[in-house]
Amino acid sequence: MIARLLSLSLMLATGSSAIAQPATSGDRPFMPAGLAQESIEVTVNFTGSRVVLFANTPQPENETSGLAVALIGPTISQKVIRRTSAGEEVIEFVSAPSVFAVGSEPQVKSTVLPETLARVGLDPGASAQPRADLLTSPDLPAWRAAYVDIMEDEGLYVLDAAQIRRFDGGLHRATITLPINAPPGEYRVRAVAFRNGEAVGETDQTLTLARSGLEATLFDLSRQHGLVYGFVAVLLGALVGGVGAWFGRKS
Amino acid sequence: MLIHLPIAQIAVDPLILVTIGMLVGFLSGLFGVGGGFLLTPILIFYGIPPAVAVSTQANQVLATSIAGVSSHWRDRLVDTKLGMLMLSGGFAGSTIGVGIFTLLKVFGLIDTTVTVLYIVFLGVIGGLMAWESIGALRGSGGDPGRRTRLRAWTRVLPMKRRFPRSGLYISIIPPIAIGFFVGMLAAILGIGGGFILAPAMVYLLGVPTRVMIGTSLFQIIFLTAYVTFLQAAFNGTVDLILAFVLMIGGVVGARYGAIAGRRLKAAQLRLLLALLVLGIAGRLVYELYVEPVPEYRLEQAQ
Repeated sequence: MIARLLSLSLMLATGSSAIAQPATSGDRPFMPAGLAQESIEVTVNFTGSRVVLFANTPQPENETSGLAVALIGPTISQKVIRRTSAGEEVIEFVSAPSVFAVGSEPQVKSTVLPETLARVGLDPGASAQPRADLLTSPDLPAWRAAYVDIMEDEGLYVLDAAQIRRFDGGLHRATITLPINAPPGEYRVRAVAFRNGEAVGETDQTLTLARSGLEATLFDLSRQHGLVYGFVAVLLGALVGGVGAWFGRKS
Repeated sequence: MLIHLPIAQIAVDPLILVTIGMLVGFLSGLFGVGGGFLLTPILIFYGIPPAVAVSTQANQVLATSIAGVSSHWRDRLVDTKLGMLMLSGGFAGSTIGVGIFTLLKVFGLIDTTVTVLYIVFLGVIGGLMAWESIGALRGSGGDPGRRTRLRAWTRVLPMKRRFPRSGLYISIIPPIAIGFFVGMLAAILGIGGGFILAPAMVYLLGVPTRVMIGTSLFQIIFLTAYVTFLQAAFNGTVDLILAFVLMIGGVVGARYGAIAGRRLKAAQLRLLLALLVLGIAGRLVYELYVEPVPEYRLEQAQ
């Protein structure tokens, strides 16, 4: 692990782009970057994790230069329901990240406009996508804000989730906290470098969060062999109850 | 120390869950109720997703009921004949109840209906039990009078059978009807129905309190096994790790609950159960009329 981090740091410090993934936008230069760990196992003793990204920001830098990163989780469809005096209103987000942990350096917060952050995909409030016909709805910002609030309450959206440390030569190490209740799946770690309030480089890395061991066995059993899982559940209850009764008699 | 739950997908403290299981198990062993009506809200309050909480509590209640019934069984305080009759009515009633539940859901009336039904039943049952048991405590402290006008209907109906364990000679229709009605309510309310069944057995059928506890637990075993299997097999919402941790506490608590129950007078037991039932009703009234409801909520889209 340490050797991997050292070699990663060396490659990034020398500006190598050998491990960088293709960026999504064509008009911004790629930023060499790499994850310290590309997959994380979720076991029964999983209590959250940290994702470490190394990135080399484009030169030259000035006092407005900074890095922002986000860990964006598997997309799901969600309904947001609003209680009103007349009943309930519903909006369906056909694609919304189940996790959005974002963080940036202080100079990014002070120099980059929210619209710019939304344009480069780092604004959680703009990440939930409704059906195409609702994209121009005047109520959409309120619905999105409500969605972000609920997800923040559940601990899945974190707006200050990253610690970013800067080294010489534009090398950065970003540590992002992976929420404890993050669902397994494919994640994207996105990093964008800013200078004078504009994006000057970006990268997207893939991270896999996968179940393992007993956790994976039980989950797969419940999803792929429901009848067996049901039988095991009843058997477990009967067994533990029987053992409890036996101990009761002995005592 | 934390453990990660594979179905609920959250990390939890097992010691807290064992304590919760122990507390609910104690009440289960003491009163002969499953305890699901207590366990589900506690688990949701702790952060378990509601669908997982509802399904997994049935699995825990199955284990605690088996552990709890054993001591009553040994003391010959389980009326299996009566229990089986009520269970047959219960399965039929719950099947119809599931249909009513689906209809109420389609018309968007399920949440309000469930809460109001809970409040009405808990309030009436708890109030009547408290009233009667206080009266009994002032007198002999035993079971409610064996020959009341309320139970005259069990004697005039045909198809009478003897239930020696309960000391009853009554028609089989009332137990089946009560089982059916409770099964239907249980399906609509999403609970085992023990807290409705237990007073119904005492006040409507005249089952002695101590036999009622064992017999009620006996039925709960079969009902919760049925619910656990359905929820695990078809919804995949039973979390076995969560259930196992809750069971550990539950079986210990149920054992001590049963021991504590033997040291109390029947009327004292009924009064305590009445206070518990009224407490739950009070909490629901608070939730429905006092507690602010969040303006927005999330639901997983299909």
